[in-house]
This record gives sequence, C-alpha cells and structure tokens, in this order.
Amino acid sequence: MKRIFAAFSLLLILTGCAAKPSSYTADFFAMDTFMSITAYGADENMAQQAAFACEKQVNALEPALSRTREDSDLYRLNHADGAVCTVSDETYAAIEAAVQYAELTGGAFDPTMAVLTDLWGIGTEQAHVPAQSEIDAALAKVGYENIVLLGDNQVQLKNGAQIDLGGIGKGFATDAVADVLAGQSEGTVSGALVQLGGNIGAFGENPAREGGGWSIGVADPDDNADFIATVEVRDQSVVTSGDYERFFEQDGKRYHHIFDPATGYPADTGLRSVTVIDENSTRADALTTALFVMGLDKGMAFCAENSIAAVFVTSDKQVYTTDAVASACAYTFLGEDKGYSDAQQA
Amino acid sequence: MQPKKLTLCGMLTALAIVLSLAERLFPLDAIVPVPGVKLGLANVVTLFALTRLSVRDAVAILLCRVALSSLLMGSVTAFLFSLFGGLLALAVMGLLLRAEGKFCSVLGVSVAGAAAHNIGQIIAAVIWMKTGAVIAYLPLLLVMSVPLGLVTGLTAAVVLSHLQKIDFRV
Amino acid sequence: MRSRLKWGDFVIIAVVLLLAAALTAWFALGTTDGQLYAEVWQDDVLVERVKLTDETDREIDLDGHNVIVLAGKTARMESADCHDQVCVRTGTLTRAGQVAVCLPNRVILKIVGETSEIDAIVS
Repeated sequence: MKRIFAAFSLLLILTGCAAKPSSYTADFFAMDTFMSITAYGADENMAQQAAFACEKQVNALEPALSRTREDSDLYRLNHADGAVCTVSDETYAAIEAAVQYAELTGGAFDPTMAVLTDLWGIGTEQAHVPAQSEIDAALAKVGYENIVLLGDNQVQLKNGAQIDLGGIGKGFATDAVADVLAGQSEGTVSGALVQLGGNIGAFGENPAREGGGWSIGVADPDDNADFIATVEVRDQSVVTSGDYERFFEQDGKRYHHIFDPATGYPADTGLRSVTVIDENSTRADALTTALFVMGLDKGMAFCAENSIAAVFVTSDKQVYTTDAVASACAYTFLGEDKGYSDAQQA
Repeated sequence: MQPKKLTLCGMLTALAIVLSLAERLFPLDAIVPVPGVKLGLANVVTLFALTRLSVRDAVAILLCRVALSSLLMGSVTAFLFSLFGGLLALAVMGLLLRAEGKFCSVLGVSVAGAAAHNIGQIIAAVIWMKTGAVIAYLPLLLVMSVPLGLVTGLTAAVVLSHLQKIDFRV
Repeated sequence: MRSRLKWGDFVIIAVVLLLAAALTAWFALGTTDGQLYAEVWQDDVLVERVKLTDETDREIDLDGHNVIVLAGKTARMESADCHDQVCVRTGTLTRAGQVAVCLPNRVILKIVGETSEIDAIVS
C-alpha cells in the first residue's frame, strides 16, 4: 500500500510539471496606434516582466522611427536640405531595410512618400484631393533612389526627398519585440502575441490552443471587426494593408491611404486588402503595401517568384492565396456567408 | 495480504484497465469537447471492491488502475480526469453502501457513483483548463450517468448475487 | 444481495436529474459557456466592464466624446467626435478578441471572454 502511494505521488509530481502558464497583457498607445502585447510565462510575474520589456522596447524605438517629433533623427534628416546627417543605429537600420524592400519591389514600396502623403493629408482634418500640378511637384521629390546610405550611420537625402518609415515602422518594432522575447532568460516566456496596430507577431506556444499555434483572423474589408479567413501560425508575423483603414470621401469618391508612387494617387488596382505571412515583420509590412500597389496579377506573380505567403482580397469579393501560404500557415477560408468566395476553389 | 486477496486485487485491477480501454470505443469527446472525458465503466470494479473487499483495497485498485491506464494510453488530462472522477465516485459509493439494503440498492449506489464520477471529471477539467465554462457539459453527463449507472449497477448486482450463491469469500 | 429497487434508488436518480436540470437552468440564465464581457478603456484606465447577456441594453457616454452601445451580446462604438471615425466604422463587435479603438480620444472598446475561436484579427 505504501509503495503504491509513493509511486502515485511521484506520478502526481510529474504531471504537475505540465501546469498551464499564466499570461499578462500590456495595452498601450505608441507610434500613433493601439498596441497590445500578451506574454505567457511560467508565472504571472515573469509574463508581466516580459510584456513590460516588450512595451519598453517599442517606446524606445518610437523616436528612432518618427518623422513628426521635432527631436527625432528623421525630422532632422528631412529638414537638412540635402546635407549629410548622422543618425542612430536603429534609424539607420530601419532606413537600410526600407531601401532594401524598395529595391526588391521595384519601387512599389517607397519610403520617400512623405511629401505626397502630407499633400493629401489623409488621416487629418485637412484631407482633400490636391491639384494635379501639386501632385506632380510632390512626385518629383519621391523616389527611394534619392536616399544615399553612406555607411557609419550617415544618410543624405537628394532632390528634396523626405523619408517616412510609417510603412515599415510597426514591422520593424515587431521584429525588435521578437528579439526582446528571444532574449528573455530560458524558461520564463513560453509564448507571446504581439499586436502593434495592424502588425501581428505570434511567437512561441499558445497555451490556449491545441498544437500551440495562434489563430489570426484576416479582417473583412467591409467590417473589420469580423474576419473572412483564419491563418494559424507560429513564430510568424501577419500583416494586413487595406483601403479601409484610413480614407476620406470627396465628391462621392473614396480616397484611401495607400498611394501608388507612380501616379501619386491612391492605388486603384481592384484590391481591398493584402495580408502577408512572413517570419520577418519588417519585410511583411513593406510587402503588403507593395503588393497592394502592384495589384492582383503583378502581385501574385511577384509572390510566386519570391515565394511569399500572401492573401489578396479583391473588390469583387474574391480571395486569392499564393502557393507559399500552405507551407507558412494553416489557412482556413471562412468568408462564404459574408459573400466572399475562395478564388482557388472556383 | 493473503495470496488469494492479492490475486483478486490484481485481477480486479486488470479488469478495470480492460474496461478503461473498452471505454475508448465510446468517443465521448465527440459530445463533450473535453479531451479525456470517460464514461466510467471501471466504476463497476470499484463498486465490487467496496462491497467484497475493503475501502482501502478499493482505493489501491483505483490508484493502480488510473496510473497504469494513463501510462498505457493516456494524456495528463485523461489521468487527472480519471483520478478525480474515480476518487469522488469511490467516496460517494463508499458512503452510500453503508445504507445499502435499507435506503437503497446497488443500482442506486451505482447511479450515484456514475454521477459523482462525472462531477469529479468536470472538477478536474475546471482546475486544469482554468475555466468554469466546461461546467456547461455537466448536465448532459449527469443525465447520461443515470442509464449508465443502472447498467453498471445491474452488472455488479448479478455478479455479486452469483458470488453469494457460490459462497465466495475473501 | 438483491437488486430489487428500493425507494432510495429513485431518490438518488431524482437528485441526479434535478442537479442536471438546475445546472441547465443556471446556464440558460446567462452564464453560458464563453461568457462575454465588454470592456471600455480610456487613457489606459478601465472605466467600465460589463457582462454581456441577451438582455444587455446600455449606452455608455464618455463625456460626449464617445458613445458606446451595448445591445445583447454585442458592443459597438455608436459615435465619436474624432475626425477619422475609425472606431465607429469598425462596426459591431460580437466575439471575444474584437476591439474598436478610438485613437484620438484614446478610448478602447473590447470584448473579452473565456474562449475564442481566434486570438487576434489583423486589419
């Protein structure tokens, strides 16, 4: 009898090791958006520490990526009238990444759209359709070729170009948060769900789901509190760009915030949204914008060539997925009752 | 422990494990989406052990059964559910058996045991999943425990009356 | 040992069934699985936490800046005095994990619950 109890208590101890982790959620505002970081750890204290470390990292990055704060590197660079500026390590790394993705996408993503977006004023109360002459003048200052990276954190802007890292900022921050999570001491953090505006990073194990994956809903462009598909991912970032996020209406026409660097107008390619699933959130962030500008056909071809996992939603309610989606995540189409159809099934 | 009693305990444990395995033929998970929830057929062994042996032996058989069947096929959840369900069923049946013959028959004891087994499983699920939401499945399990308890109770009654006829004593 | 049913057996069966009925009734009265709550946050402070049931019918007015309507098991930002109206356009929230955010006023309306089929929505 005694032995049975001894063996039994041993078994109990063994099963006790597999206890469920606790979680802590940090909700905060940064980079002009709402952010939410949930960390899972062995106990609540560890989870809280990890979530706070992530929040701190985002707050620390904010001045390095902002162009509106007058004390920021970008503000200084944008107002240097073409003079060489020395910027911080983070700012330089972010500009470098932005230029890299601009080159990759043949300029469909461009980090020098600042002058143009300021002209349109989307997201402010002065949003309006500018005159063609104004757009032409602004376009003359757009072009990532105008960014000269001189090494040693030195940057020069030519032809009146101004840098806006908004297109990759949240992705860059998500990657930085991923590094913070990876740097936590062994056994303290088991998983985390990082939501920085429209950028989601899902890391480690989700204790609430069998298999440990994270189920992310792809928003319905007509009602973005709801979703039309889910992707189950692990150690991946999921980013969406859509025409429904920020827009204004003038004379009955909608003007959204994703501009085509070639025309200076909001990209009009028949797409409602593009979602990219990628390990690198900065890359995913830049690619959603670029693919939206490219449109469905060019975008799908680009994804096939570079094996990018992307989900395209068109204005005629068709949902397209690229070949790489199957290997990047578990994709489930759920938009039928909302009038969407899975283009691959049809 | 006498050899005869020890042999009987071993056989009962083996029988209980076989019943635990047989339970897997009924995918209760399909109705109650909590992985590891069982019908509790092995309660019949507990009932038998309680009437013919002692509470101590019944507990020993139960613990051996739970530990072994979890090692054979189980997950941690299945282990916890069987443990909580089994122990609570044992406690309830042990208490009711004192009134057996006067207040109720083996059938009633068995029904109460089946109900207790399900309550125990759900308590384990609440602790494990850290959510009270699983209690929503308890009514269904309780209703099911009535016919199930009657069947196991009848089985036990038949076996016990046969043993009485052949004057089986431990 | 006889297997003839005694009155106590019926009492036991009745008790088990009554317990099942009582639990069902209790769950039918609002505390269903996956109970939902609406949370209203303003300036990083939780100002309201409301349990959502089928009978929920409430309007929360944040000094006229934001008006939140809780109706049944849903919540929505009815109106906001900000210029972008993103939170109002977010629409009606029905599931745990959904959020409507008013950035200019730093107001967050979210639905939290115990279970959810998704962990987050990317938009």
